[in-house]
This record gives sequence, structure tokens and C-alpha cells, in this order.
Amino acid sequence: MALTGLEIFKLLPKTNCKKCGMPTCLAFAMALAQKRAKLEDCPDVSQEAKDKLAAAAAPPMRKVVFGAGETQVQIGQETVMFRHEEKFHNPTALAVTVSDKLTGEDLKKRIQTVNALQFERVGTKIGVSAIAIINDSGSADSFAAACVAAKTGGKLPLILVTRSPKAMAAAAARVKDTVPLLAWAEPDTAEEMAKIAKENGCPLAARADSIEALAELTEKIKKQGVEDIVLSTPEGANLRSRLFDLSKVRNLALKKVFRPLGYPTISFVSDGSADAQMAEAISLICKYSGIVVVDTVEPHALLPMLTAVMNIFTDPQKPVQVEAKVYPIGEPDANSPLMFTTNFSLTYYTVESDVEASRVPSYILVVDTEGTSVLTAYSGDKLNEKAVADAMAKFGVDKLVKHRKLIIPGYVAVMSGKLEEATNWEILVGPRECSMLPKYLQEVWS
Amino acid sequence: MENDGKKKCTVRFEPSGLGITVPVGTVLLEAAHKAGIYLNSICGGDGYCGKCKVTVDEGQFQSRPTTLLTPDEIRQNVVLACQAKVLSDMRLTVPKSHALETSQILMDTDAHRFSELAGEVRAGIFKFDPLVRKIFVEMSPPTVHDHTADHERLYLAIRRQVDAPIMQTGFRVLQKLSGVLQSCNYKATVTLGRRGRTTEVIEVEPGDRRKRNFAVAVDLGTTTVVAHLVDLTTAATIDKEATYNSQINFGEDYIRRIIYAEQNDAFDEMQNRIVQDLNSLIVTLAARQKIDLQEITTVICAGNTAMIHFLLNLDPTRIRREPYVASAGFVPPIRAAETGIQINKRGLLYCLPSVAAYVGSDIVAGVLATRIFVKNGVYLFADIGTNGEVVLGNRDWLVCASSSAGPAFEGSGVKHGMRAGAGAVERMAIREDGSVELKTIGDMPAAGVCGSGLLDTLSELFVNGLIDRTGRFRADGQPGLTQGEEGWQFQLAPERDGHHELVITQADIDNLVRSKAGVFAAVRVLMESTQTKPEDLEAVYLAGGFGNFLNVRQAVTIGMLPDVPAERIQFVGNTSIAGAKTVLLSCKALETAEKIAQSMTYFDLMSHPQYMDEFMRAKFLPHTDLALFPSVTESLMHRA
Repeated sequence: MALTGLEIFKLLPKTNCKKCGMPTCLAFAMALAQKRAKLEDCPDVSQEAKDKLAAAAAPPMRKVVFGAGETQVQIGQETVMFRHEEKFHNPTALAVTVSDKLTGEDLKKRIQTVNALQFERVGTKIGVSAIAIINDSGSADSFAAACVAAKTGGKLPLILVTRSPKAMAAAAARVKDTVPLLAWAEPDTAEEMAKIAKENGCPLAARADSIEALAELTEKIKKQGVEDIVLSTPEGANLRSRLFDLSKVRNLALKKVFRPLGYPTISFVSDGSADAQMAEAISLICKYSGIVVVDTVEPHALLPMLTAVMNIFTDPQKPVQVEAKVYPIGEPDANSPLMFTTNFSLTYYTVESDVEASRVPSYILVVDTEGTSVLTAYSGDKLNEKAVADAMAKFGVDKLVKHRKLIIPGYVAVMSGKLEEATNWEILVGPRECSMLPKYLQEVWS
Repeated sequence: MENDGKKKCTVRFEPSGLGITVPVGTVLLEAAHKAGIYLNSICGGDGYCGKCKVTVDEGQFQSRPTTLLTPDEIRQNVVLACQAKVLSDMRLTVPKSHALETSQILMDTDAHRFSELAGEVRAGIFKFDPLVRKIFVEMSPPTVHDHTADHERLYLAIRRQVDAPIMQTGFRVLQKLSGVLQSCNYKATVTLGRRGRTTEVIEVEPGDRRKRNFAVAVDLGTTTVVAHLVDLTTAATIDKEATYNSQINFGEDYIRRIIYAEQNDAFDEMQNRIVQDLNSLIVTLAARQKIDLQEITTVICAGNTAMIHFLLNLDPTRIRREPYVASAGFVPPIRAAETGIQINKRGLLYCLPSVAAYVGSDIVAGVLATRIFVKNGVYLFADIGTNGEVVLGNRDWLVCASSSAGPAFEGSGVKHGMRAGAGAVERMAIREDGSVELKTIGDMPAAGVCGSGLLDTLSELFVNGLIDRTGRFRADGQPGLTQGEEGWQFQLAPERDGHHELVITQADIDNLVRSKAGVFAAVRVLMESTQTKPEDLEAVYLAGGFGNFLNVRQAVTIGMLPDVPAERIQFVGNTSIAGAKTVLLSCKALETAEKIAQSMTYFDLMSHPQYMDEFMRAKFLPHTDLALFPSVTESLMHRA
């Protein structure tokens, strides 16, 4: 069981010496519990405490890395069941299959297509992060040839998928410099596969018919000296049973700190139409797959999957912001009121709904305050006359309205003097609570 | 005064008749300040508290639009002084309501009711060993055989009585030493002050003056400054006095004051104001008790970090900016006179240590006074002031956080709120027939509602179904609800004998709910971070300037404090001053306070991922999650 801050605290010297860079031993203990600090930073910790903490400090789910260079993929190391508890750390990697039955131009083209599955969404690049070579042919030579083709034909990390140790040995030796993920070791091939993984320095996926068998299998692999393991949970009869197994593995790993299952997972979705694959893949992204391998190369199916990954792996600790700009409410014209608020989404949407309720067409100027509310931003100097004046200039509010009047939130009425000087606009102090905005706009403005 | 060629106007304030000449365009509130007129202005001229109303009898002015004036008031030429500019010579009437308050702050009488909390020193928990003490030394005068110099002779005599390995004497004392010793035949009273491990000879007086050694302990609050006069020879508190913090004109919370000082380069002014507040308290106490200011040798202060910074004129500007740093948490003793405090010229000013920018020495004093730092089990301490600070812990660990609860429970930011003074509603109940029962401080006509009354009101409105769980009025024919300027409101007292009616508005309720939500969210973050369950809490101590009587159960009913049995909740009043006095009377307590400050782990709520969620969840009565308040839920069901 992972130790809580208070449990770790009991093992520390309790001198509050600040040598670790934290104000108190408890603050350090809590940072340790959240993996934000390293035990080595405490110069006075006893050996006994070190031993106890080292055992407890190992992450409940191991981090596994495959691929090399800038396209390297990192999965695992998750610490929570639900995102709001803290955050999810490593986004699910999407991989697309390439069959080794393909040869020549067909193979090359398929590899190119997969590599090209990259998109840009709200300013961020997202895309397929690995290529899975499937040993459909049953031939070791074909498999190795396809793997080499994938290595030379693009930058994406490789996942080598075969049940045959012979095929795996042949292929892995040829592409080991790209650090591919080897899939799979099964109970009967565990020792051979583990040997190949160890010789080539590659992580290894493990696959069994039940979670219990999977746990035994990882122990076996670990005994062979391979620590970087990825779990391939039983494929199961249906999606429901797969999600159930994935959730159970995650729960055992994190809540019970059951080490044999403390690894990230890989799931395969290779049946059905592109649309069916999309639906299934998104379910698996939501529930705990570290890697999802699909067969489809249809952009319309892949983009939603990537969007799902992007959304689920958003850090909830960062405040949700709206874009800083001028928002017209209703159909405002050059005589409509102009007011500003901050870009904390909760603040903006509250103001927006009250302006809407007033039925007075208006402009709301949103000032970037790093996602903080009006008073917080003002107190922390993120909202000041300069920030407002800059936003007014940047978004050209002087061209939107003929009048030169700006309504400001009542809570920052104190800004009005400086703001008047900075903008030469007349500053009207609005109500403190935006629930009073309808009354203000209807009575005071008009 | 500005002289930019602008036309000058004369502004006259009735009924005092005081006048002032100011340039055209001067804001009325500023003109009033310059004329020496006190106008109530909680928001510091921001135009939202609506307290600075004056009536224009004659003259031209320009005023900004506001929703804080009724149509009647506008007809009667009432303006907000902070929103109106002078355009011509003017004559104004200042309403009587501005004149009240100042001299009527109620003294904290909790101390004697919680003597087990305040009396550690007398109870012998800390050894009686005041920070500044007077001892009487009798030396044998020098002879040919014993020609030790006067200064060393004095040290030897002191060390016979006091353990003082390191000693130090000020230059002025040294200069007059021989004269004093000879004048009294080497029988003198020495004032010794502790400065860390050093013992300083502060004063040498002829004869035995041991009995005349006094100190003033101060709770330096954002809103109220409280001073207790303490006899350092008997450890007794001999008098108490309180005043408003006159910085309040620059903003009701300290962040606003920091911003004001920054923008107007007014740090000196901030210091002057608080020092003047202190001096007037000290002078009042000394005069009343017939004590010479020279006999006051010590001032000890506990207060939030920003107030201590203002007092010492330390740079407070980084308190409000990431990463929220104070200039000093542990302030060494300094000469009180250096700040302008008028006691013995060589007397010392001590400040209790603070924890962080937002958890000040008042909270350290609270932990010291409630003694949670020596206890087993887990204790919760909440100090509801302008900020709501929360401490959780025991002898092994202490965690703390500060929520910007806002001053609603101090009566500020509430339409008819007031601080606990004469005429303040301190208890409120709704009878079965729906009528309202009020108890005011001093049984005076109801002038406003103080913290405890507001707590009662919120709770009573809720349990009687006049407001729903979101705090909204249930405006379906409920008695007592009327339509006011700001929508539905509840009448506490009708207009009577020249006193305006008392109401609670929807905005007031929203404000109170937000305040309690801030406090409870802070409590939850600390409890969750330490895996503390409500049943683990041995006791909950509630401190703050609510008033004299606090029905602690109501604090649970509205969901400000966790649902623990009422007998485990104790209202402890002003622990800031209780802790300051403990330190004053025992060097050991100062060491302990420093240890407490050092060991408290501060949680920054602004950057805490759970705080916002907890806050939103706590904005219901008593809470979104009723499972957290089983006893409240049960009593509501029972009632229904």
C-alpha cells in the first residue's frame, strides 16, 4: 500500500530543518507521497526509514518506454482511478496495424499511410504514436522483413506482434536499435520471449487467458530479468468483459498495490468496421488502456479517438479558461454596452448568462488573467489597468462601439481611476454580483 | 495640496460646520477626509459598500450612476461621497449614522469564561518569566579592596538573580549608570529584556520600582485592534480597550490595502495609521489606570502577516503575488520607539512568529492558546475574521490553511451587518408562529446584526424553510418576506424610534453562504489531506469576533464546521490576544510559539486542486453532500 503523507512523516526526523527545501517535514512527506519530491533530498533520514520508504515509494504502476528518439512513447505510471483525484499522467498511445502479409509497394504504402496519420487540433499536434507489425504470415522471414520496412519507412516506434519466439527473435534482432515493444509472451512461451526481450533490451507484453494467469506470467517474466512489462488483458467475449478486466487490473495495481499487475496495458481492436473500431477504441481509452491498437486508417475514425485521448488526459488542476476576445451577446451594435470580465471559464459563463438574461445586447471583453476569477486576479496583480487597456487595444473595442464607456466589475471598482487614465474611456462601476447585471443594464445603462 | 490652476471650491459639512477648500473635481469622500470628517466607508471609496451616503443641501456635483441609492434617496439629493465630484461650492449634511460605532466596540469577555485557555501562565503550564522584567539589585558600594567597575558590578548582581549568560547594555543606559547607582547607594531596579539569548539592560532606576512594570498585548486585526494592559509583576490583565483599524478607509481587507499602498506609495501612511491606533489605545489604557507611559516596557503583537508588515513598514507587496512571500516571519524584538509606539523610550516591541504569508502570528497565538500542539488525537481550530484560517493537528503534526472567507461574519459586506457593539443583534430565533425573537447587545434598540446574530439568522431561515438549500428565498407566500430594493428580503425588525428597519437580503445570504463555504472547504482540504474523519476530531475550537454568545450548533447547521456533537465544539473568542499574553508572560511560551510556527505545514488553497471543488460543494446548506452532515439532515427530516 502506498504510504500517505502522515505515514511517511512518522518515518522522517521531524526536525523541520528545511534542508530539503520544504518548510516542514510534513510538507516534505506530503510531497513524497505525491511523488513530487525525492527521499534523497532529506539529508538526515535514517536507514530504517529509507528501506521502508523505498518499498512503499515504488510507483504502483510501472512506467514503460518504447521507441527511440523524439517519437519515443511513454505509458503507465498512473496514480489514480479517476482523473479528478489528481490527473492522468501518460496519454494512451494509439497504434495502427501493418500485416506482414503485405509486401513490396503495398507494404510501403501501408506504412506511409500510418505514419501520415497526424493531425492538428486547437493548436496541438496529435497523431498515431506507434505502428504494430502483425505476424499474419506465420513466416519468421516475412515478419522480420516487414519490421525492417516499418523501421526504414517512418519514424514511429514499433510493436512487434507475434506468438512465435522464432519470428520474434529474428525480427527483434533486426530492429532492436528502435527499442520496439515485443508482443506477446504467453504462459508457454514466457521464458523464450523474456530471453529475447532481455537480449535485445526491449519491453515485453504479456498475455494470458485470465487476470490470475496474467499475474503469474508477469512474475515469471520478471524472474528472467525483464522488468518493463505491458499487460495484454484477456480479449474476452465482449467489450463489457474487457472493460471489467482492465478496471480490475487498474484497481488491483493502484488500490491494493498488487505488484504483479502494476504495469500499463495494451488492447487490440482489429475487428469490425472503422466506426465500430472507433467506438470500441474510445471505450478502451476511457478505461485504462495504455496502448490501443486498431486496424483502421480512416482519419474520420482516428481523429475522434485522438480527440478523446487529448480530452481525457487534460490536467484538471489547471483552471479551465475561455479564449480572451470580445464576445457579442445578442446582436449588439455600436451603441451597445461594453463590459469586461476575466477568462476563468466559471466567471465568464456566469457573467454571460446574466447578460443574456438582461436581454440587452452587449459586448463582453474577456481579459486573459491566466484563468483566475476577478478578485483573485486583481489581488494577485494579474488583472490591472494595463491588462485591461492592452486587451481593449488588442481586440479593437474602439471600432466596435461609438461611445467610450466601459463597465467594470463592481468588485474592482478601485481600478476605475487608473483605468480611466490608461484608456481615456469613461469607467462605469457595474454591480459586484453579476446577478445584478440585468437590473444594472436595464436601469442604469439605458 | 494640488495647485494646478483649477478653480477652488469650498465644501462645508453639517452639522459639524467643518469646511475645506478643494479644487474642482475633488471626490467628496477625499474632501471629507481632508476636512477631518469621519465618513463610514468600508470599501475604501470603491463605490460598492454604499455606506458613505451624505445629503447635498446646496451646490453642484457630478455623480456616477449607482444601484446603491433608492429613487427616494436620489430625489432627496443623497449621494455616495466616494462617487460624487465637487463642481461648485457645496453644503452637505452628514447623517448621524456616521458618528456612531467608534467608541462602542464590545470588549472580549470570553477570556474569563475560557480561563483554562487564557490562564496557562497562572496555571503553571508555562513558567512565569516575562519577556521584560524588573529586578531589584542591592550591591555593596565599591571599596578600595572591591573596586570592580559599576557596570561589571551591576552584571554580577544581576547574574546572582537571573540566568543571563549573554548580556548587553545600551549606550545611553551605560552613560547614566554610575550616576543612578551612586544616587541610590547601589540599590537599583534593573529592567531586563530578552532578545533571543541575549539579556539586555533596558533601564536602570534608583530604588525599588519592581511593582511598576506594565505591558500592552495587542491583537492587530484587519478590522479591529484590541489591546490588553497587563501588570507584569502579577500577570494580571488590568484593563482592555479596542478600536477600529483606521486603515479601513484604504480597503476592508489587507490585500486591498497593500494594493492601495503600492499604487499611492502610502506605506508610511499605513504605518502611521496603525501606530496611531496603537498609541491611542495605549494612552487610553494608561490614563485610565494612572500609569506613566514610561512604566510600560513592552508591547507584544499578534496579527496577520500583512498587518505586522504594515506596523513595521516591511515590504508587504509580495504577499499578494505568486509565490506569496513575506519579508519576515520571525521578527526579532525591536525598540518600540523605532516604529513610533509611545511607551518607555527603550521599551521593546515583540511580534509573535507567523507561518506564511496568509497564516499569521494571530493563528500561531491561537494554537498556543488552545494548546492543540500538546494534545493527542486530532483537533480543529478555526479563526473566523476577515480571512478564515483553519488549523488541524495535534502534538505530532499541524496543518493550516487560509480561506479568503471575507468579513461577512464580522458584519461587513452585509446590508445591516455591524460589528459586535451596543445595539447589535447577537441572537435571533424564529418562533413557531413565525415571529422573530431578537436579543441585542446591551439590550439596546436593534441597530444592526453582528456575527453571532448573522449565524443564527442564516441557520433559522434555513431550518424554518424560508430559504432553500441553495440559500434562495422561498418566495411563496412566506410570512416575513418582502420585496425590497434588491429583491426578496427578510425583515428582522421593523422601523422604530428613528432606527431603520433591519433586513437580510438575498445578497447578504449569498455572502454569508460564500463565507461559510470558504471556511468549510478549507477544513475539508485539510481533513482530506490528513485522512481525518469528523469522528476523529476530539474538539473543534471556533475563534473570532462574532460577539459574546455563539450558538455553536448553528455553525454546524449551516455547514461551516464539520458535523460533530455540539459538546465537542467550543467558542473560544479572541485567541490571538490570549496567545500574545501567554508569550508576554513567559519566555518559554515564546520559544514554544516559534516551534509551533516552524512546525505548521501551510496548504496554499489557491493552487490546491481540490479547493475549488470543495468550495462549490460547500455552497449549499449545509452541503451538497448531505452524508457529511448526518445530524443536520436527521433534524431537518424530523422537523419536516
